[in-house]
Amino acid sequence: MPAPPPLPPARRHALIDRMRRVRLPGLGQSILVPLLAVITALLVGAVIILVSGGNPVRAYEGLYEGSIGCPGALSGDAGIQVTRLVCASSVTDTLITATPFVIAGLAVAFAFKGGLFNIGVEGQLLAGSLATVLVGYKLDGLPAALHITLALAAGIAAGAVYGAIPGLLKAYTGAHEVIVTIMLNYVAGTMTSYLLSGVMKDPRSGAVARTPYIDTAARLPDVWPGPEMLHLGAVFAVLTAIGLWWVLQRTTIGYEVRTVGANPHAARYAGMSVARTVALTMAVAGGLAGMAGAIEVTGVNYYHTPGFSVGYGFDSIAIALLGRAHPVGVIPAALLFGALRGGSSRMQFLTQIPVDIIQVIQALVLLFVAAPAIVRWLYRVRQRPHTVIEERPEPAASV
Amino acid sequence: MIRGRFGAILAVIAACALLLGACGDDKKEDSGGSKPAGGASTSASGGKKLKVGLVTDVGKVDDKSFNQSAWEGVQRAQKELGADVKFIETTDPKDYAKNIETFANEKYDVIVTVGFGLGEATAAAAKKYPNIKFIGVDQFQAESVTNIAGLIFDEDKAGYLAGALAAQMSKSGTIGQVLGTDVVPPVVKFGKGYEAGAKAVKPEIKVLTWYHPGGLAKGFSDPEEGKKQALQMISQGADVIFGAGGNTGNGALLGCAEKNVLAIGVDTDQYLTLPQAQKVLVSSAMKLITPGVFDIIKGVQENSFKGGNFTGQVGLAPFHDLESQVSQAVKDKLKQIDAGLKDGSIKTNVKV
Repeated sequence: MPAPPPLPPARRHALIDRMRRVRLPGLGQSILVPLLAVITALLVGAVIILVSGGNPVRAYEGLYEGSIGCPGALSGDAGIQVTRLVCASSVTDTLITATPFVIAGLAVAFAFKGGLFNIGVEGQLLAGSLATVLVGYKLDGLPAALHITLALAAGIAAGAVYGAIPGLLKAYTGAHEVIVTIMLNYVAGTMTSYLLSGVMKDPRSGAVARTPYIDTAARLPDVWPGPEMLHLGAVFAVLTAIGLWWVLQRTTIGYEVRTVGANPHAARYAGMSVARTVALTMAVAGGLAGMAGAIEVTGVNYYHTPGFSVGYGFDSIAIALLGRAHPVGVIPAALLFGALRGGSSRMQFLTQIPVDIIQVIQALVLLFVAAPAIVRWLYRVRQRPHTVIEERPEPAASV
Repeated sequence: MIRGRFGAILAVIAACALLLGACGDDKKEDSGGSKPAGGASTSASGGKKLKVGLVTDVGKVDDKSFNQSAWEGVQRAQKELGADVKFIETTDPKDYAKNIETFANEKYDVIVTVGFGLGEATAAAAKKYPNIKFIGVDQFQAESVTNIAGLIFDEDKAGYLAGALAAQMSKSGTIGQVLGTDVVPPVVKFGKGYEAGAKAVKPEIKVLTWYHPGGLAKGFSDPEEGKKQALQMISQGADVIFGAGGNTGNGALLGCAEKNVLAIGVDTDQYLTLPQAQKVLVSSAMKLITPGVFDIIKGVQENSFKGGNFTGQVGLAPFHDLESQVSQAVKDKLKQIDAGLKDGSIKTNVKV
């Protein structure tokens, strides 16, 4: 095939300039590297499954069937007759599991953008759940829309207050947020068990420490009714992610948060209040974590119990990293975690390998994502100059 | 983008996976094929293989405790009844229902759920799947449902045996017990049974009793306090201590190990679960979950399954390293008490 005639130099420059400006190369990389990391982790995971006496093919069939497909879709091992490649019950299960991961992941990602490391999601989430459940079961006779709004608002507010404490301490005393948030996690955890086995305990729950069920009016409605329920919280999660991205990219506050995160000295020089921004960032992050707890209470559990959080606070850090701290990037990362968790029952059913293997695979994903140099080296992905993206002028948000 | 050395490694890994995967399948079919030949009793239910699934509480099937004991009962059903067995380990309490559902969807005949935490999920599943039989380990059935058997235990009898052993082993005339919270009835049954058993053997014995005041939140997870209490009892002259209350009780056993004072464990044979206490652990007041689970599964096979509560056996664990320190007279006495408790001629008179 004859080569196309060369363009005149001027037009060529304009075209190259245009291509540089398109975000695709940067975006392509930021998707490609995590994707390769996931694939590598699954491959290494397969070897570990083999070593531990399982059959990796069956294991991943189970993972697929449990998170997306119908039982027996690939493995052919089905007690029920439906064996479609996509099964509503599996998908909604993954989505429900992923919902708190998305919002809690945002709580970490947002703080990252502001240059803060929020390890306090666990505590903020518990604080939010406590407030939500209290509003949920103490009030009754309210119209559903009002009751749900109040319950969610209470959770978000409690999380925000709990997140603002380390934020304010950092802003005005310089106390490091990592240490303060870790300590506050213990406070929230112990406080939760104290309250739930004491004044907030349901007298009818017997030996199990949990609160009473929340009022039916305070429960999130299903957006996908029927046997494969999916509550409204999943929609909230996606909207929150997009909203947060918009706030970060298109508003003055978002610009301030990012600037303080990138360089607090420059931010101060530009006339921004670093202390106020730091406190605000942590309050928003805490509010998001509180919302994650509030949605789990109103959408899934309908009560609060000390075993409520299965490490959301710590998985959320992983998810934020996997999503490259991008609000929208958190969604696929959370979906991956949701699928790994959601598929683990079926995976174990088919292979009878220890359920820990799933956690090992999660850890491997993180390892490869957190160290992109390994993946780049393994697959010889060349790092493109980052400047291309950075060159883009910031939106008009000069203060 | 993907080429050269990694492409090669990738191909090799994939090939290995496929190869070994195939082998794995072969093995499975092999064992499946040989099973009916070994299990003579399969023919009893018309040649149909019983499918038994087990869902653990948050924990693993090799936890050397409740989950493992229940799984061993299911495995015995595999060996002796030729049942098809599988387990799912729960990692998140929210998955209770889903894990049960996984077995229900596959039309399992019997689903064993371990621990009272799964009580609500088990009851809900039993309603949804009336044709499946459920076995709830440690799940007391307030109302009898036709397809749930709650496997429960007379903790007072286990405690009684432990008390009888402790009283006979004591030289000082003082024994102690470090217990979890008295909010939980089984714990109180253990404690009162222990006292009754000790007094029955030696009426003049002094029994020091301590319940953790921290309720459910702290009662079973405070080894430091448990140890402290045990050491205090030892300083008051106690020379045998019964530790019954999760990690709090374990703390007491460790305190005994430190002071070289005899200790008695609880629930399962703690010689296996708490190696640090082996040298002082004379026995454990056990709930015999394995035979309990097996017996109920066997009942399903023989069509004699009944809903409601099923009281499993209790007993003392082997003496292990301290076998030589327990005299034949003590062993005989324990055997006699055990028989008496079983046939009802000995009563613990514990009411909770």
